[in-house]
Amino acid sequence: MNTISQIALTVVMFGSLFSVLTLSLNLQYARGGMINFGTVAYFATGAYAYAIVTQEPPHGLDQYLVGLDMPWWAGFIAAGLAAMAFAILTGWPTLRLRGEYLALTTFAFAEMLNSLLVNERGIGNGTVGLANVERPDANILGLSENVVYALAAFLLMLATAYAFRRLLASPYGRAVDAIRDDEVAAQAIGKNIARLRFQVFVISSMPIGFAGALYAMITTLVNPELFTAEVTFFVWIALVLGGERTILGAIIGTMALVGFQEAIRAIPFESVRAAEIAASAEDIVTGILFIVILRWQPFSALARRRQAA
Amino acid sequence: MTRDLLIVDKVRKSFGGLIAVGGDAGLSFSVPEGTFLGLIGPNGAGKSTTFNLISGVLKPTSGAVLLDGRDLSKARASDIASYGLGRTFQTPRAFPSLTVLENVMVGADNQGETLFSVLRGGWRSRETALRDKAGEVLERVGLSDRIDDVVANLSGGELRMLEVARQLVRDPRILLLDEPTAGVDPSLQAKLSRILVDLHSEGRTLVVVEHNLHFLLQIADSIVVLQNGQLLSRGTPSEIKSDEKVIAAYLGADHAA
Ligand SMILES: Nc1ncnc2c1ncn2[C@@H]1O[C@H](COP(=O)(O)OP(=O)(O)OP(=O)(O)O)[C@@H](O)[C@H]1O
Ligand SMILES: [Mg+2]
Repeated sequence: MNTISQIALTVVMFGSLFSVLTLSLNLQYARGGMINFGTVAYFATGAYAYAIVTQEPPHGLDQYLVGLDMPWWAGFIAAGLAAMAFAILTGWPTLRLRGEYLALTTFAFAEMLNSLLVNERGIGNGTVGLANVERPDANILGLSENVVYALAAFLLMLATAYAFRRLLASPYGRAVDAIRDDEVAAQAIGKNIARLRFQVFVISSMPIGFAGALYAMITTLVNPELFTAEVTFFVWIALVLGGERTILGAIIGTMALVGFQEAIRAIPFESVRAAEIAASAEDIVTGILFIVILRWQPFSALARRRQAA
Repeated sequence: MTRDLLIVDKVRKSFGGLIAVGGDAGLSFSVPEGTFLGLIGPNGAGKSTTFNLISGVLKPTSGAVLLDGRDLSKARASDIASYGLGRTFQTPRAFPSLTVLENVMVGADNQGETLFSVLRGGWRSRETALRDKAGEVLERVGLSDRIDDVVANLSGGELRMLEVARQLVRDPRILLLDEPTAGVDPSLQAKLSRILVDLHSEGRTLVVVEHNLHFLLQIADSIVVLQNGQLLSRGTPSEIKSDEKVIAAYLGADHAA
């Protein structure tokens, strides 16, 4: 029983956290028509910004150069801003590109950031990363820290969903949809497609940065290995799983994927070998699931039916 | 003398070395404010390309387009639209993820489309007025009973009317329509004809490409005839109808008869 509630808590915590990424991707891709294959970079930017702003100045064996020793909320805000800044930097030259070219360049930017984090030790101790990331004292209301962080992740997800919903339900969202549907027709009614897409790209990076900060608080560690392309693929699979276009779909898809992985990880294994087999089975099953869902799109069909009704 | 709202000045456009519009000298014509200009010519004469060059979808290889005295060489299509130019496309374009009503509402120049306005929520009050305005325009083009429909359910003719409505809601100073009657059933055509006559009498400037000359020659007050991307003739409908060159190139024997 204890393990089941433990799993449920983990699913809520990481499911909510990664839902923030899936929701942002949903806004960028399903609504904005932009393929971002570098999602993890904005997440990493947020996590590192949080760690750097909150950690103490370097001493002893530290190789990092900057530690501002500021409170957690300053780090949290900085994480959102840093992710936006990185979106401005990467979006400006690339957003004119179409479809797969944008996918490639965003992917390349993420790889560049990763190797920067590995090689420029002044940022975050290189491969060692930054350990003991500061986090606020979460012992409130007599709840355990994990419950509090799961709650925080859940709230961040709700806030993101609410903000994006508000954006998309407005005339702004209507214009974004129009541009995604038909750029030429949208221009013929005066929509500045470059400006709108850029704005959507930058705005949707902010919650990813916040999620990065929360992730750093939860793991109390940031290092380059945590922020590889695997994270990007993970949220893309979750997005496809949940069916495009709907906020609820993005959340359900992420929760399902995290739940699936946690369930497999929870199986008790007798030997290291069995655990290894299970780990690769997890990858294979995820892959098969991905193909099946791409082929039949059961969730998006469901969403469409709901919309039509 | 009314002043020229639109000037096409020695415009040439080539695709991969082949000159589609303008020949050697370039295509030149002007559209005085308030004119209802018909633009005709055989298939491939360059009518749609000329619209694309005016509206910024394509940029001229050489020459210039001026809207109300402003050189459009550097302007984006969206800028040109916001300067007061409206256009429709030969193949109707719609936004499939929006309803019929939203397809029109999205056309209105909307202050609610800024992030600032989303944050403040101030767009809600304007939205009602916008909805009414879009409803009126849809009524005008005969689509009022399709307001909540998805565009996938519209016929080709209805899509055309929807596109006209999306432009009308913007109150453009000059409106370019590319074959607005193609695929439109006769009752809607009559409606369209009335709308164009009304717009004309409101003082609006219109440029209409049409193969349906019966439709066009009745309501336009000036006609430009293109052939091979070049100006073949320009005149009033009755001058054009009796122009030997035009009859030979385009109208054909059956029209003369
Ligand atoms: N994007 C393009 N690339 C290459 N050639 C083009 C392009 N657009 C137009 N053309 C060529 O330019 C010429 C003029 O085409 P355009 O569509 O403007 O003619 P049109 O007068 O509108 O004809 P229609 O009555 O059939 O609509 C044609 O020879 C066409 O093949
Ligand atoms: Mg044409």
